[in-house]
Amino acid sequence: MLSKRLAIVVSAVLTGALVAGCTSGEQAPQQQTGPVDLTFWTWAPNMDKIAEVWNAAHPNIHVTVSKQAGGDEAAAKFLTAAKAGNAPDIVQAEYQMLPSFVAAEAVADLKGEFSKAKAEFSDGIWSLVTLGTDAVYGLPQDSGPMMLYYRTDLFTQYGIQVPKTWAEYASAARAVHAKDSTVYLGGFSSKDPGWFAGLSQQAGANWWAITGDAWKVGINDDASKKVADFWGGLVKEGIVDTQAQWTPEWNAALNNGKLLSWASAVWAPGVLSSNAPNGKGKWAIAPLPQWGGQQASGFWGGSSMAVAAGSKAKKQAAEFITWLNTDPKAMDMLIKDAAVYPAAKKGQELLTQAPDYFSNQADFWKQATTISGTARGFTFGPNVNVAYSAYKDAFDKAVQNKSSFTEALSSMHNATVADMQKSGFKLAS
Amino acid sequence: MKKGGLAPTALLLLGALYCLLPVGWVLVAATKSRAELFTSAAFAPGTGLMGNLSDLSAYRDGIFWRWMLNTALYAGLGAALSTGVSVVAGYALAKFAFRGRGLMFNILIGGILVPSVVLAIPQYLLLSKVGLANTYWAVLLPSILNPYSIYLARIYAAAAIPDALLEAGRIDGAGETHLLRVVALPLMGPGMVTIFLFQFVAIWNNFLLPFIMLADDGKFPLTVGLYTLLVTGANQPALYNLVITGAMLSIIPLIALFLTMQRYWRTDLGDGSVKS
Amino acid sequence: MDSPRKGARGARAGAVPYLFLAPAMVLFALFVAVPIGYTIYLSLRRVRFSGLGLGRGSRTEIFVGLENYKAALQDPEFWAGWVRVLGYSILVLTLMLGLALVFALLLDSVKIRFGRFSRIAIFLPYAVPGVVATLLWGFLYLPSLSPIHETLGLLGVRGIDLLAPGTVVYSMANVAIWGGVGFNMLVLYTQLRAIPREYYESARLDGAGELAIALRVKVPMIAPAIVLTTIFSIIATIQVFTEPVTLRPITNALSSTWSPLMRVYRDAFVTGDLYSAAATSIIIALISLGPSLGFLRIVRRRAFGEGQQ
Repeated sequence: MLSKRLAIVVSAVLTGALVAGCTSGEQAPQQQTGPVDLTFWTWAPNMDKIAEVWNAAHPNIHVTVSKQAGGDEAAAKFLTAAKAGNAPDIVQAEYQMLPSFVAAEAVADLKGEFSKAKAEFSDGIWSLVTLGTDAVYGLPQDSGPMMLYYRTDLFTQYGIQVPKTWAEYASAARAVHAKDSTVYLGGFSSKDPGWFAGLSQQAGANWWAITGDAWKVGINDDASKKVADFWGGLVKEGIVDTQAQWTPEWNAALNNGKLLSWASAVWAPGVLSSNAPNGKGKWAIAPLPQWGGQQASGFWGGSSMAVAAGSKAKKQAAEFITWLNTDPKAMDMLIKDAAVYPAAKKGQELLTQAPDYFSNQADFWKQATTISGTARGFTFGPNVNVAYSAYKDAFDKAVQNKSSFTEALSSMHNATVADMQKSGFKLAS
Repeated sequence: MKKGGLAPTALLLLGALYCLLPVGWVLVAATKSRAELFTSAAFAPGTGLMGNLSDLSAYRDGIFWRWMLNTALYAGLGAALSTGVSVVAGYALAKFAFRGRGLMFNILIGGILVPSVVLAIPQYLLLSKVGLANTYWAVLLPSILNPYSIYLARIYAAAAIPDALLEAGRIDGAGETHLLRVVALPLMGPGMVTIFLFQFVAIWNNFLLPFIMLADDGKFPLTVGLYTLLVTGANQPALYNLVITGAMLSIIPLIALFLTMQRYWRTDLGDGSVKS
Repeated sequence: MDSPRKGARGARAGAVPYLFLAPAMVLFALFVAVPIGYTIYLSLRRVRFSGLGLGRGSRTEIFVGLENYKAALQDPEFWAGWVRVLGYSILVLTLMLGLALVFALLLDSVKIRFGRFSRIAIFLPYAVPGVVATLLWGFLYLPSLSPIHETLGLLGVRGIDLLAPGTVVYSMANVAIWGGVGFNMLVLYTQLRAIPREYYESARLDGAGELAIALRVKVPMIAPAIVLTTIFSIIATIQVFTEPVTLRPITNALSSTWSPLMRVYRDAFVTGDLYSAAATSIIIALISLGPSLGFLRIVRRRAFGEGQQ
């Protein structure tokens, strides 16, 4: 009985191994000439309408858009498809996922086709698609410079000024919460590692860096510790909100004036108008509170567009990507239909009229562009998802227990380093 | 009504209420417009039902209805095939003695021990190898086999089909397939309905398998389609009210199916067939 | 007890049972056995990077033997997950199966009204798509919009956090019970429906009441279905995954590895480490085998009722 079962298990394993053996070993495929049909995975809305415009003008390069879900699972789906040889030609790749795609050999280096577009983007953004090497893995599509969104009417009501430094932010938080214990100036999110990354970028952090041929991990560097400690103190005092964002409760708080401000990114108008419609015309933006010295900000989110390593029409794909992200007409459509804040400098200049929701702030886009100019990013490493998952676990606990945020940051750092060591990456000592 | 039926009825209605309340939330939430969703109390009806329905239909030129048709195909065809395969297998396991019966049964049930989360990616790689990824088959084929249904079919067959009846048929010279069609299947009616219903709902609400298998958003079932409206990526707002309305619409065919099929639970076809 | 039907019957049956089983076995081989084989194969390997891991050829898949298994087994968080799941399972299994049995028996008894309405109402939770689950429970559990909080407030109970570390297990259990009662109830109910009515006649003639008939006649008759639902519910709750993943976005009290299967999901779909996921899932499958076999052994005689008629 046992030997029969064993035989079955062994044959299953062998068959499985056969399947596996056939799956790996993808050489660079033959490139097609002549008319091609490209598939494009994206989660930005209305991309199919924009692709139609391209298709009409380029009968030889037909782009078919397939709208996917965003988030972590999107990256997993792409990597699985790449492993099976079914990857789409063009994929929307969030900046923090791009290094993992490169490490998985799922996206192609197209410095020949993309380098000429370098001048269209700021250096900070460009480094997000080159990873500090001389390869170019994609073109930036949008970016998410961070700024402070605040309720103008409620600030007046509670008697606080727009905080210019983080110290002022802390005092304002204290004042607001003292006046009404159900109201908070703002919140700390243990579920949004990208948010915390952006704030750390503002402080000058470098979570990953490439030195020579090794990675240097600095998640708990001084700048990040400063940010962690600051928020840890606020949470311990109980003067900032700690509820999970993107929940019905949180949306209700934004709507009902229980949250007076939100440190968010340039794409927030869409979210606010959708989830907090009652606040129309009552919010405004200002630069994030500063740590001192030069004005700075960070990035939260944003994606690039990359070409799959297995694509049979890389040059044509690169053509479409370049058009979409640098051509003024295309960028106009991106802004209007896809609600994208273009990373290209020319694209940002196309934004003139303030979004409906911010009808009270006529110079919304001018401010946004100025802030965007001060934003810096950092290199993302090859295991960002490990780090982000560790962030959520560590800071969930720290928020629950009101314990040291620096410790949480260190455990996040250690988990990231341990994972890179386990995978064999070379780490600078 | 005979007396004494009050307590059981009350208990049942309590249970029904407990189960219905969250479903009721979905129905009520679907009537709310965006502005009302996060501001009004949970069970206060809203004014946005018509608006939500038209927005959902208009979204990307009515792709929601395409998704609903896809889901009907996956679930209808998949559940029908699955019921067929399971019932025949269950019947064989219950009513015949043959070498390897125990082994095969144990192997089939052992399949349940490995969670479907784990099987999804290898199944995808396998189907990619034969070029079936991103096709309707990629979702249909893996949905047909359900060891749970086979186990159910086995115990239903054992309970509902008297051996004496089969013996009588065999003595009369009937072939096995004839016996299956004419004797076994009708007796297993209620069981088959349950198995079909379960598999239909399971496929209707399945997410992970179609998510991994399908690249082309025109082939998505409702689960994956609505998911793309909910998890819109870091920078885009989630279309909450469309998702909720879509979910509500997704429940309706299941209710209709349940109501249609439930008359099969009332028949006791085992009556009178063996008595003299 | 299986009564062997050999002799004339067995000889005639011949290839027929194998034919009937063939579609199931072929599908099983293709879609379960081979993927499991592949999973085992994956669990013995890893990807190794060299240097920066960014250039071509700096990535290789190598054989590492049982290293992935060791890593999983030595992870204290993995075992902590099992302990949490144990408590959770006991809670969910007793309540869910108990309620399923009670409802099935109630629906099958002659004296109830609104039976059809209750039947479909109890089934409905199973029909609600998972995509709205987080939203749904977010609205029902989070304080400001929750009718639960409202009702509790009317009764004078305030300030309860349904998603705090001490209460989140019960909130999750409620989600599981709510979603699973209908399914299990229907399995038992279908089995009850297949029992010919005359089995109760003699008991009724003796003057037995509904409750006595339910407990002494019906329950033993549907023992196979009860065993079925228990075993599969044991496996399903040991491999709990949906409920914590559903509630995780709305609370800080659940980590990404709260249950062992969540660790598999995180490895496979979030951190992209298919190999660890494979090893962990094999371990989970083997551990799930234990209680299932144990339970089956205890109730073996009752489980397969062929030949009882």
